[in-house]
Amino acid sequence: MKILVCMKQVPQKDAPLKLNETGTWIREDVSYEVNEPDAYALEEALRQKEKHGGEVVVITSGPARAQQVLREALAKGADRAIHLEDNAFVGLDAFNTARAFAAAIKDDQFDLIFTGLQSDDYGYAQTGVVLAELLGWPHATIIMQIEKNESGIRVKRELEAGYFQFVDMPLPAVLTIQSGINKLRYATLIGIKQAKNKPLRKVSLAEVQSALGANLQKIERLYVPQKTKNTEFLEGPAGEVAKKLAEKLRNEVRVL
Amino acid sequence: MTLIFRKPLPDVERPEMPADVVIVGGGPAGMACALRLSQLIDEHNAKNPESQLSKENIYVLEKAREVGQHCLSGALLDPRSMRELLPGFEKEAPLDATVSKEAVYFLTEKGKLKFPITPPPLRDHGNYVISINRFVKWLGSKVEETGITVFTGFAGSELLYDGDRITGVRTDDKGVDKENQQKSNFEPGYDLKAKVVILAEGTRGSLTKQLIAKFDLAKDRNPQTYGQGVKELWEVPAGRIAPGEVIYTMGWPLTTREYGGAWIYGGKDNVVSLGFVTGLDYPDPRLDPQRVLQDFKQHPFVTKLLEGGKMIRYGAKSLPYGGWWAIPPLAGNGWMIVGDSAGFLNSARLKGIHLAIKSGMLAAETAFEALKKDDSSAATLGAFQSKVESSWIKQELWKVRNMHQGFEHGFYAGMFHTGLQMFTGGRGLRNRYPGTPGYQHMKKLAELPANGGAEAHLLGPAKGDGKLTFDKLTDLYHSGTKHEEDQPAHLVIQDTNICNTRCVKEYGGPCQNFCPANVYEMVDDVEQPNGKRISLNPSNCVHCKTCDIMDPYQIITWVPPEGGGGPNYDGM
Repeated sequence: MKILVCMKQVPQKDAPLKLNETGTWIREDVSYEVNEPDAYALEEALRQKEKHGGEVVVITSGPARAQQVLREALAKGADRAIHLEDNAFVGLDAFNTARAFAAAIKDDQFDLIFTGLQSDDYGYAQTGVVLAELLGWPHATIIMQIEKNESGIRVKRELEAGYFQFVDMPLPAVLTIQSGINKLRYATLIGIKQAKNKPLRKVSLAEVQSALGANLQKIERLYVPQKTKNTEFLEGPAGEVAKKLAEKLRNEVRVL
Repeated sequence: MTLIFRKPLPDVERPEMPADVVIVGGGPAGMACALRLSQLIDEHNAKNPESQLSKENIYVLEKAREVGQHCLSGALLDPRSMRELLPGFEKEAPLDATVSKEAVYFLTEKGKLKFPITPPPLRDHGNYVISINRFVKWLGSKVEETGITVFTGFAGSELLYDGDRITGVRTDDKGVDKENQQKSNFEPGYDLKAKVVILAEGTRGSLTKQLIAKFDLAKDRNPQTYGQGVKELWEVPAGRIAPGEVIYTMGWPLTTREYGGAWIYGGKDNVVSLGFVTGLDYPDPRLDPQRVLQDFKQHPFVTKLLEGGKMIRYGAKSLPYGGWWAIPPLAGNGWMIVGDSAGFLNSARLKGIHLAIKSGMLAAETAFEALKKDDSSAATLGAFQSKVESSWIKQELWKVRNMHQGFEHGFYAGMFHTGLQMFTGGRGLRNRYPGTPGYQHMKKLAELPANGGAEAHLLGPAKGDGKLTFDKLTDLYHSGTKHEEDQPAHLVIQDTNICNTRCVKEYGGPCQNFCPANVYEMVDDVEQPNGKRISLNPSNCVHCKTCDIMDPYQIITWVPPEGGGGPNYDGM
């Protein structure tokens, strides 16, 4: 099986974030890491390759710093990498990112494309699904298990409240992978060393520009949540207080 | 002294990798060493097409997940060594500001006295305010450009020996659970078989400690003494402090019985670095260095500076300031020690980055000769010792060789000796002042006033108001520290009975106080004779090494946890 894994570099979860001057995104002087569900997607791809043979290719878009996620993936066992390298990729919406990926892999024939379920920064959960649509492939989201069978694959999707759904799908297909589907491996010294000599193809913005359109989605303004605290005492007989409380929780706090 | 380390897993087949040079630790010393080595190899290869040297098997091990993440300092950079390493480095290195203004104050509880002149060691014109995190990250990127491999997320966990020779370094096992059992993703540490091992682990290096114990390298030296620096990074309203403004204080909240002082540096974008160094040789076991910083911030002078601002990062690290007489032999068969691991820090100037860099460069020159001759015996590597002794490192450290020892009997005696030493080229009353390990200054509770006496305001945990001052857990949260939870404790206590029976009675469990990260707790336990039992939260650790240094029974050994774990000192 030939598997493409889409990976993203995101700010570290506990990084102290500061807004940029226009208030449309964060300042870049933070540490970055691999988007967590993408790490699981990579691990799943490596395990499928170990079982069924084939090739694992990783792709990302972003400035030079984003190469780090590809290096880590290569160190863990991916065979080659594709880097859509330009600052401008940071500002693309999910639709355009998917278009850019589709354009960058047009000469490749993949059986499967994995993405993480969603990104830890934007959290759109769209890129994988849109990519499937652009390619005209079936897709399934929130994947917890993948079994290859004669006609294609059987996947286990995580639904709500502890329910799962099993779906049989033909190949090629796009799957978005849930965190925790497997146990991540560690990179080894020899893996890191060998990664230096693995192929890493750089794709410029110009090469995929013709596939892109205007962003359909745009961040107008980010706000830092203001912490507020408000205490109110409800008085009266227990029955009435309970009633008032329920009303407040339903209509004012809206948690019921 | 018996040293206990995390038990290596039995019956594990470990991959081996050959190496020419392994540098343990990717801080200023290690990175400068790698960079200098690469320069020398490039020069050699350009001149000697017939005998090329390869950089393929030169490695830097760094336990942090990313280069620079465990680096903590004030920081001011004396550019002397950087100008030698990379002339014109100022053009591309991340420097926050040039020091423009400096002042030294002696603080009383509410007041302050400005020193009429800045004492010469604290004159910082021409130095730079930097974030050592960003600086080392940049230095690391220069190293990676050379083709030398930096393994981030890998700690050196053991030295490999062959008789009196160091033959390599074993990296940490990954995927081991709390009970010391292999998890499904277990990955054994590698044996890096190296011709030359350079220990650049920073303060109180764990391999350095093994080496010093094994070869009795502390013999005839003064014991190394340390301070603990607790730092907070603040963003303050514009106009409070100029970029490049440097303030040092002495005195309050410390009394004359503790050694230490504070720094305040103005960086760019209204970011202020402030911190307090408390000498790890204080008498009262109830003292808490994190609290000392909180008290310091309540001085009107500091409060005014920070008011309305926001604390953005927290961290702590020990620093070696035993000086020249505490530096161990620097090289032997197959090994060299550089930077803070060796104790290259000028305690009078509160600076060590430039010395770390210079020592790394000199070690690189020595390693280069060893590679050329294919001989890394003590005879060849011993040249490092003489290189250091004929360099400006020794000139600088010689002048302050007795500085810290002069303070062993308190502030006034210290000022007397410092004054005398200034006029006698560092000599003072004699060529070599002896030193005492800091933990031996700690007194038992029975010898101290129950209410703390003059130190009362320094004792016990800080409460914190959540705006200007913070309790330890709030501060700790801002260190960004993170570890794999399911792994063996990396703080190895030789005998916890001593904690539960003796220490709790004699010293009241000082580990709870000197640890800046709430790793140690004495929890209630009715089955213990004193009703208390030691409990560890290793995941909180910020790798400062204070416990390894200051525990009065010397039964705690800090070993590296699974690589990749630890604080995240972004921007520190």
